[in-house]
Amino acid sequence: MKYRLRHVTAYRYAESVDLATHLLHLEPRPLPHQQVLAPCIAAAPSPARAVRRTDTFGNIAVWLFLDQPHAAFEVTLQAEVSVTFPPPPPTADTPAWERVAALAREGGPDCWQAAEFAVGSPLAPADAAAGGYAIASFPPARPVLAGLLDLIARIRRDFAFRPGVTSLATPIARVLAQRAGVCQDFAHLMIGGLRALGLPARYVSGYLQTRPPPGQPPRRGADQSHAWVSAWLGPADGWVDLDPTNDLIVRDEHVVLGWGRDFSDVSPVRGVILGGGAHSVTVAVDLDPL
Amino acid sequence: VADPRDEMVDGAGAIRPHWRELLALTASLGDELQQRADRLARAAEEDGLAAFLPSGEGTAPVWRCDPVPLPLPAEEFAPLAEGLDQRARLLEAVLADLYGPQRLLAEGRLPPSLVFGSPAYLRPCRNLPVRGVRLHFYAADLIRRPDGAWAVLADRTGGAHGLATALESRKLMARVLPELFRPGQVRPLRPFIDLWQDTLPRLAPPGRANPAVAWLTPGLGHPRWFEHVLLSRELACTLVEPGDLTVRGGGVFLKTLGGLQQVDVLLRRLDGRLLDPLELDAAATAGIPGLLDAARDGAVVITNHPGSALLETPGLIAHLPALAERLIGETLLLPQVQPGESPSTTPCLDGGRLAPRQVVLRLFLVHDGASWQAMPGGMARVLAEGEVPSGPLPPGGVCKDVWVLAGERIDILAPAPAPMPPLKLRRTAGELPSRVADQLFWFGRTVERADRAARLLRAAGARLGRGGAMLPREMAELECLLRCLVEAAILPAEAANAATPAALAQALRATVREGRERGAIARLFAEITRLTETVRDRLTGDMYATFTAALRAAREDIAAAGSSLDGLAHALAGVQRYSASVAGMAAENMVRGGGSLFLDLGRRIERAQAVVAEAAVALDQPPAHGEIGLRLLLELCDSSITYRSRYLAAIQPAPVLDLVLADAGNPRGLAFQLVAMHGLLGELEGEAEEAQEGLAATPAGLLVLGEQLVSDVLAAPDQAVAAAALPDRLRAMGAALAGLSDRVTRRYFALLPAPQALGRGETAGK
Repeated sequence: MKYRLRHVTAYRYAESVDLATHLLHLEPRPLPHQQVLAPCIAAAPSPARAVRRTDTFGNIAVWLFLDQPHAAFEVTLQAEVSVTFPPPPPTADTPAWERVAALAREGGPDCWQAAEFAVGSPLAPADAAAGGYAIASFPPARPVLAGLLDLIARIRRDFAFRPGVTSLATPIARVLAQRAGVCQDFAHLMIGGLRALGLPARYVSGYLQTRPPPGQPPRRGADQSHAWVSAWLGPADGWVDLDPTNDLIVRDEHVVLGWGRDFSDVSPVRGVILGGGAHSVTVAVDLDPL
Repeated sequence: VADPRDEMVDGAGAIRPHWRELLALTASLGDELQQRADRLARAAEEDGLAAFLPSGEGTAPVWRCDPVPLPLPAEEFAPLAEGLDQRARLLEAVLADLYGPQRLLAEGRLPPSLVFGSPAYLRPCRNLPVRGVRLHFYAADLIRRPDGAWAVLADRTGGAHGLATALESRKLMARVLPELFRPGQVRPLRPFIDLWQDTLPRLAPPGRANPAVAWLTPGLGHPRWFEHVLLSRELACTLVEPGDLTVRGGGVFLKTLGGLQQVDVLLRRLDGRLLDPLELDAAATAGIPGLLDAARDGAVVITNHPGSALLETPGLIAHLPALAERLIGETLLLPQVQPGESPSTTPCLDGGRLAPRQVVLRLFLVHDGASWQAMPGGMARVLAEGEVPSGPLPPGGVCKDVWVLAGERIDILAPAPAPMPPLKLRRTAGELPSRVADQLFWFGRTVERADRAARLLRAAGARLGRGGAMLPREMAELECLLRCLVEAAILPAEAANAATPAALAQALRATVREGRERGAIARLFAEITRLTETVRDRLTGDMYATFTAALRAAREDIAAAGSSLDGLAHALAGVQRYSASVAGMAAENMVRGGGSLFLDLGRRIERAQAVVAEAAVALDQPPAHGEIGLRLLLELCDSSITYRSRYLAAIQPAPVLDLVLADAGNPRGLAFQLVAMHGLLGELEGEAEEAQEGLAATPAGLLVLGEQLVSDVLAAPDQAVAAAALPDRLRAMGAALAGLSDRVTRRYFALLPAPQALGRGETAGK
């Protein structure tokens, strides 16, 4: 599928901002199954300095430095992206989940990079309660992908999609207790649960197409930034992307921005400003098929 | 049976050879040793090692130096230095790999969770460009094992504290126990510091003439503040806090009075996780946004590497012997401490006698651009009862000076200093960090405010304490003083309305009260204490010692005020003595054009505001009481004697006001302050690039106004009536002075608005 992507973030400040530094994870990273054409980031006011680099996870990161007083800041990404993720390997052929956990623990060739995602991170710690929830999908010796598919189906079933009941500061144990949240919460919950079992899991930041394919129910989390989970199946099968919010295997309805241990590694637009007083932010995302 | 692991006594109960002379010298002192130990403790306090807490509540833990040093023979120190050099090279190689290709993980030589799970592993710092080495400064903790060999207990690559304590201990030992030192016998520490200082400019990015090296401290309140002040001074680099720095155009700059000055090298003593809030700590707003971007561009060198504390991760040390073989192809020279091993003992003075105590030895190394150099000395920490030897360095305790004995002399041979272009001559305050100027300004204001409060309270206390019934004149004066005290926020309004003299005396005494309901004077002194600490790096050691000794004396007087008016008077006299000593020190010992300018400016503005405020109250009287107000005004301005000698006893409004408001020769009068301010602001503005605001115009204008006021009264048919009409004009002058203070603050101290973090809370997929 080929999409036109447009993501606008606009800050309005009550008072003038003297100096602003922004770090953007806003440009989709090119992948074997994702081609990114003509990506363009435009900012207003225009920055005094802009730097584009690759971060430690291989994502594209952009730094913007604004040193003139301003009362608003708007940044827009536009790109054309075509995606076709391959189908996952046959479920029964994937290794037992305990084996995958052991490989991640030992590290070494082919496994050490995945091992980084098996340890807890600030927003997705290896949480015992989340692990207790996840373990029901992983009886002994079950192929890891079978367990993962069962887990995303359970999350979709057990949790209500309810914006506004959580924030980034909400610990995953609370999300678990109240059985409600948004895509970010479900991703962090699932990642924390997998890590508690020793399984590597990444937080993927990206988008979901605005309209579902004909005949399909409306998707949750479209028209906004979206988040899902990439789980490791071992060195032979690599990573598979799973969307617990919609109980979907990621194929061609999603566009990947980048990934990290949790949201804090790939926040689309973050910054430190001097001044500004109270501020408001609006975000608009369009992901339309071409 | 003697423990073989005693530094002084060997396994057979004999005194080790290198201890014999030291022990004989120590023994010859007899009971004197305890007195010397007491002097060591006192000297440490005077030098500020024993800095009292900024809040003034209790004292901070301090390092006390034991009078018996720990001697290390040359033949024992040399292999230690060699072993630590190897270890530092290994740690550098480990750091280079873990913040680079991570081959150690790919090859399975380290468990991934050891690195990835460590909070000290800073992902954004991977592949930072490097000038020479990532580790520039390194310390190691060692203990002596049962077989007599020194073994490494822990590596210190993050903060590596304790060097300042080692330098200070040596200085104090040389001062208090000179007879223990034999010429040429103990290797000096100074060459190591000189070597370190020489290496610093060479760390700078290429092509920087006269590189600026700054010591980055978390700031006052950090447990190692003393160390940061002392070492930054020893190394002649500017002490900066994160808030002093700003990133512009990819470079790092220090905010100074003369504008932004580029910084080339940051000696980092701030936790690496707090360096750059944009990339490191999702929750933080402290730090320097954009700093890591500048470091990636090679525009600034941060050393040690921001993520160097990763090498202190528990569990890593056990892998080091194997990593040494892999990374540098060598076998570790120094053994490592095994679980369950405890340190050796050494004699320490305890209750007048020598007793064996466990010690941990900390040695310090610096990379000079070519190789590692160990300081011939160190810090030996005497373990307290139940203290874990491997724990971090506590903020205080008992330490020993470490003597490396000169065998055959091996001097540190520094590489020839890199040629530097000649320095531009500077005689301005331009390089003063804006924050320091701000603090000196408020230091000046606060000291003066305390002085004024003491003056008013003493005058009020004297009238209350005379005993017997007060005369109507005294009651009117007291009422006037109380209004001044309330306006100056020294007394709460309700206290001034107290019905009985006893209740009033109680309210006056409450101003020096400490504790939960701290009085105004006590609050001012807590603030003075804090400000003294913050400007410490701008004061010489002697000045700091004098300032703090006077401050301590004043605070002791305040604490001892007790419940009598007499005690209060004594305490207030102490406050005034302190204020006078600050003024004297600043005038005599601080370089003109530097920070003293702001200290003086603060004092002048505060005093000028006080004079006009008090004059406004004193003149605001029914005409019948006019003379009372004038007399009081003379008293408050210390001008009664001058007045009497000029005009004999006749009190008239115009001559009094001339002396108080317009006579530029009266150091307590308004005109004197305005002339001084005009000069100070002129000096400052002469240096600034844009002088269009004309701050110096304000005191010049006020001088004219003051003259006008006096001549108006002089020309009036009834001087008393004219004087009674002045308070509004005086208050307007006070407002102009307050406005000037605000403009100075905005202009020179560049107060920045509070930083805010964005993009950490917006929820995706709403």
